[in-house]
Amino acid sequence: MKIEVKKNILATNSAMAAENHQRLEDHDVRMINLMASPGAGKTSVIMQAIEHTRDRLRLAVIEGDIASEIDSLAIEAMDIPAIQINTDGGCHLTAVMIASALDHLDLDTLDLIIIENVGNLVCPAEFDLGETARLVIASVTEGHDKPHKYPMIFRQVDAIIVNKIDLLSYCDFDLNHFRRTVRDLNPDVPIMELSCRDGFGVGEWRRWLEASATAGPIDLKS
Amino acid sequence: MHEYAITENILEIVQAEASRAGAGRVDEITVVMGELTTFVDSSIEFYFGELARGTAAENAVLKFQKLQARAVCGNCEAQFRPQSAFFTCPDCGSPLYELKQGQELFIESIEVSQPETSGPKGE
Repeated sequence: MKIEVKKNILATNSAMAAENHQRLEDHDVRMINLMASPGAGKTSVIMQAIEHTRDRLRLAVIEGDIASEIDSLAIEAMDIPAIQINTDGGCHLTAVMIASALDHLDLDTLDLIIIENVGNLVCPAEFDLGETARLVIASVTEGHDKPHKYPMIFRQVDAIIVNKIDLLSYCDFDLNHFRRTVRDLNPDVPIMELSCRDGFGVGEWRRWLEASATAGPIDLKS
Repeated sequence: MHEYAITENILEIVQAEASRAGAGRVDEITVVMGELTTFVDSSIEFYFGELARGTAAENAVLKFQKLQARAVCGNCEAQFRPQSAFFTCPDCGSPLYELKQGQELFIESIEVSQPETSGPKGE
């Protein structure tokens, strides 16, 4: 006997993502889904965000890692609420994980939540978390060909950070090539150059964060 | 490896549908996949073999149907089939296009039956 099913396999995640999104909207909170490969500097970029916007924005961080609490402890040491999610082998965060993390945050006291997704450029791109903006970090030590290799994530994001820009002269990273490739995928996306070590570009990063935190919900590019 | 979570969802949906129909065995599952998703069918098959063990879907055959991508150019409104994320409009060359189809992932249908040893329930 044949049964017509016609059910979306990602329906559970999409429904929960929509609930998360609504919950944020009800409390007037924005949420950024920050994605990058392992070692691109996600935690350092978040720490720069905290340092440079904490006098204007009320922040919280959700840390996604396969194991350990290293990142959330580093954020808590800065007196910022941090929720650690350990995926125990899972390669991405899901909307259900974010829903339970939101349960542990007092949304009425926040303007902006930054999610540090699991270090990976493939899987996180397929799972909507209910965020209001998506951001990917590429670091100059990874090479300028990342958008060629992982086009989906570069196509989907609302902003891109090129991190470790202070190392540019030591790496074979062709910034013009990188920008051209990104333009072919996502023509209007802002590309911010940043160094967490010497502070280059932190002003632009701060302004982008402030705009994201005060603007209405940003429509996600699909 | 995000296929693990996907396979869990497939199994969950299939089991619910089969038990609603009172079926004891799932013989075939047809999954429709947009050609631009990053899910790998052989990976789903691999996880399915492990996860379905001991369930009514243990011996089910997974069939994958690819759905062609369809896009409309944001500049000249031409309709075309982008075959990768880098595709540009064949008419005007613009990279700005809206994807209308190609990222779907759903269960189209399942084929179920009663095991030979089952009672008088029938189909």
